[in-house]
Amino acid sequence: MTKKITTLNTLAIGVAAGLTLSYGSTVSAGEIEWSGFVENATYFRDKKGLSKFRNTAQAEFSKSIESDSWSNVSINGVLRGSYDGVYDLNSSEFGKDAQQQYLGESWHDNSTVSSSALLTPGTPFPCENDPTICNNLDGYMDQDENDAKFAEFNDRLDFIREFYITADKQLANGDVFNFSFGKQQVVWGKTDLFRVLDVINPVDYSRHNIYDELEDIRIPQWMFTAEWRMGPNEVLDDSNFQLIWNVDKFRPHNMGTCGQSYVMVDAGCFFSAKLAGTIPVIHDVQEPGWDLSNTQFGAKWEGVYGDTTFSVNALHYRQQLPSIHWRGPNPATPAGDGLFDIKFPRVTLLGGSLDYYSMDMDAVWRMEVAYTQGEEQPRDLNGNAETDMLRYVIGFDKNLVIPSLGTSSAFLISTQLFGEHILDHEADMPMDEDNWIATALFKGWYKNNRLSPQVIFAHDFAAKATAIAPSISWTPDNHWMFNAGLNVKFGGDEKFPWSASANVPGNAGVPQYEPLARFLNGPIGVANQEDEIQFTVRYSF
Amino acid sequence: MKKTVVSMMMAGALVAPVHAATLDDVENSFYPYKNGAKEFSNLKPGMTINKSNVESVKDALDPAMYKFIKNGDYEIRVGETTSFDLHESYVEATRKNLNTTSLGEKSGEINGFVAGRPFPEEPSLDDPRAGEKMAFNFKYGYNWGDTGAVYPFYWKFRDMASGKEERMLKFNFHFLNYKHRVKQEPMPDIEPNPSNLFRGIYVQVLEPFDVKNTQLLIHRYEDDLKRDNAYLYLGFQRRVRRLSSGQTTDAFLGSDLMIEDFEGYNGRISDMKWTYKGTREMLMPYYNHNDEPLDPDTHKDEDGYQVVSFTGKGQCFPNVSWQVRKVYEVESAPVDPNHPLSKRVHFMDAQTFAIPRTNAYDRKGELWKIFTIGQSHPDHHLAANKGSGVSIDDAFSMVDLQANHCTTGQFKGQLDPKLSPEQKFSVQNLRSSGR
Repeated sequence: MTKKITTLNTLAIGVAAGLTLSYGSTVSAGEIEWSGFVENATYFRDKKGLSKFRNTAQAEFSKSIESDSWSNVSINGVLRGSYDGVYDLNSSEFGKDAQQQYLGESWHDNSTVSSSALLTPGTPFPCENDPTICNNLDGYMDQDENDAKFAEFNDRLDFIREFYITADKQLANGDVFNFSFGKQQVVWGKTDLFRVLDVINPVDYSRHNIYDELEDIRIPQWMFTAEWRMGPNEVLDDSNFQLIWNVDKFRPHNMGTCGQSYVMVDAGCFFSAKLAGTIPVIHDVQEPGWDLSNTQFGAKWEGVYGDTTFSVNALHYRQQLPSIHWRGPNPATPAGDGLFDIKFPRVTLLGGSLDYYSMDMDAVWRMEVAYTQGEEQPRDLNGNAETDMLRYVIGFDKNLVIPSLGTSSAFLISTQLFGEHILDHEADMPMDEDNWIATALFKGWYKNNRLSPQVIFAHDFAAKATAIAPSISWTPDNHWMFNAGLNVKFGGDEKFPWSASANVPGNAGVPQYEPLARFLNGPIGVANQEDEIQFTVRYSF
Repeated sequence: MKKTVVSMMMAGALVAPVHAATLDDVENSFYPYKNGAKEFSNLKPGMTINKSNVESVKDALDPAMYKFIKNGDYEIRVGETTSFDLHESYVEATRKNLNTTSLGEKSGEINGFVAGRPFPEEPSLDDPRAGEKMAFNFKYGYNWGDTGAVYPFYWKFRDMASGKEERMLKFNFHFLNYKHRVKQEPMPDIEPNPSNLFRGIYVQVLEPFDVKNTQLLIHRYEDDLKRDNAYLYLGFQRRVRRLSSGQTTDAFLGSDLMIEDFEGYNGRISDMKWTYKGTREMLMPYYNHNDEPLDPDTHKDEDGYQVVSFTGKGQCFPNVSWQVRKVYEVESAPVDPNHPLSKRVHFMDAQTFAIPRTNAYDRKGELWKIFTIGQSHPDHHLAANKGSGVSIDDAFSMVDLQANHCTTGQFKGQLDPKLSPEQKFSVQNLRSSGR
């Protein structure tokens, strides 16, 4: 990871400041409104002990500016800093010294040959332990332990979670043109836990896998957005056209570095492992640098038609999950200085969404679909194959008062069925040609909404893996919030035959955990030993 | 065929006006105090009603308020009856469209309504649909004029026994009538309006942090038989979600109010069976905001505006004066047998058709919630509201008698249309205002 503040960050701050100053002669600024919170999140994992001791301070501000020619002008920002003490308080399990006995120790037993005879365990925080792997992973998964302890304090200025200016221009015909620029989150789609259209910002899964609110784990990007808000017309009750231009240097998802307490599909440990004890799994990370041609852009048209809201979306971006490219002269012969390069291919997405309120059911159906071209999926031979992908979700939301449960507040029942279809599926792909993940949320409120129990359920059909997360929060007043929860997983024991294991006598065609079954078992299955009890206390102001 | 014709004739007879209203009816409806208010021998302006003298004025109180005073939970200061004249444009629209409106065959159906008060004639106990007509008079009332805003709006959750304030929410509420407008351009309707919306309600939560930026948008259709479309933006999720809106009996954000309780009744007329029970002269919380003891702490701004203060048991009652008003007592009983209430008893103000008092009864028929909305005269409120001809909702109290809990509301009601432009009532506005 480069240790310089990027040119773009510097430039963008300057532009934002310049925009602000350029209004100086015609504007007057209002008071800055501040709000925020301090929070401690303490989680304990079964058989591991403390898995999170994160202390966070977050401040949000907004300053409105009166302008003669623009309206609703404001500068907004969110600052966040955190320290996760787990690396100091439970260093035997997490951190630079948290060595594992075999690859995949965090999610499966040592019963298959791939886990022990062919691949070494992942190197925790490789930049603290193995200069070669650190160098190979430069720019990606090259955090040291301090980077994990202080997640926001890095060269991408992540402590500035958001900082943007926004302004409206009233057009003569009554339409509104909106422009905003800065470090921000742009949210498409309306799904929980998993994403179909909400793909503009990459996600920091190292914070708490898929289970934190996306609001807290989207990685904000420096973006321009322009909206033409057309309002109602003879047919539509509302209509809006949005253009986005993500001018930030590309960032992939943060899947967690080996040694962290949350490592999505254990990828960080696989990437820091070696074949036969000598050949690094990863040779190089070809992360695109900042260049105009590497920027990402998209458009959305959305509207309301009677009981239906809809959007049509298009986005040209980069795959945020790493794609591994085999470097050997042929599938059977590895390169001596590293098996794979990591790349992030260009992707074009076309999609749309539809929400429909059914009066008869008094419920909302929502659908999202995304068709992509350019994605690469893992496979046994060559590491990857490019394939078109189809993802979709059908959601059902209903608010229901259930007097027998002792509250007059309506319970929220929200279910989702995510589907994924690999159009050019190959037999050596660990992921099924079609797979589905079902989720459900059941949330209630008692004591004037100050006591709120909920249960989240998620099941990955291909992984035969399930997560159940019951929790209860107590908000005694306007400032304090206490939350206690469990996060329990089952399953995730699927295996997949790896061709290289055939070189080990007696193992040809024998299903293996490593390295490919991590993709099959997915984020729920690979976290199957991450059963936790979780406590959070927050004071907001 | 013959049977069909007969059925249609019978239906026509059922929905025809009981009698044609006259311009005198309009005058009596809008100016009931031109000859003064009814006088009670034991009730004089300037007196305070408390547990020592409440028996002598029992007839001027509804049963719940009588009980509160008798228990010593609240004392009422009595003010002079004053006329709350609604804006002349609304009265004129009533005159102009007199007798053009009739009820449809089904409850909730209305035909020929253009603008103004649809049924200005005195209700009759002999008219089986008189209660429904009162409900339409409320629905199409001049409640916030063509547009209005409560900007801001403070809700406090209180333990009634201890008076402890458990939580305070700060909102902005905005209201916009798409149709039947009488004062602000465009009139009578905002166009285009492809879904034939009647009204929009937009709510934005400003505080506290955990619900900050939560926004609610309700689109109410002109067709009463069609359920509202509702959209919710949750600040911590940054996205607009459609809401299933049928659950208007949900406790709104944990308060003691159902969404259906807003403004006295906030639902479909067809969801209730309405019964007119009679006309009474009663004490109602009508007053001049600027003459009342105000709360100097909750809200401060450059206008020097302060919100109404609260008093009584648990600080659950508005500290305002009450005056004798002509009131229609109307019962609404839910059609849905699963509704948590067996009935509401509304005390509708005959002049303004606001609903300043409502008592709600649970399924067992026991008194459950007591809702009071204080009404300020616009000429004694914010200077900008002077002459608006709107009876301004100024304070509310919802007491949950069974939970011994209350939610109070303190308003800064503003009738400036610039605060509630049509753009605010769009789905896109939820996204753009969210963050």
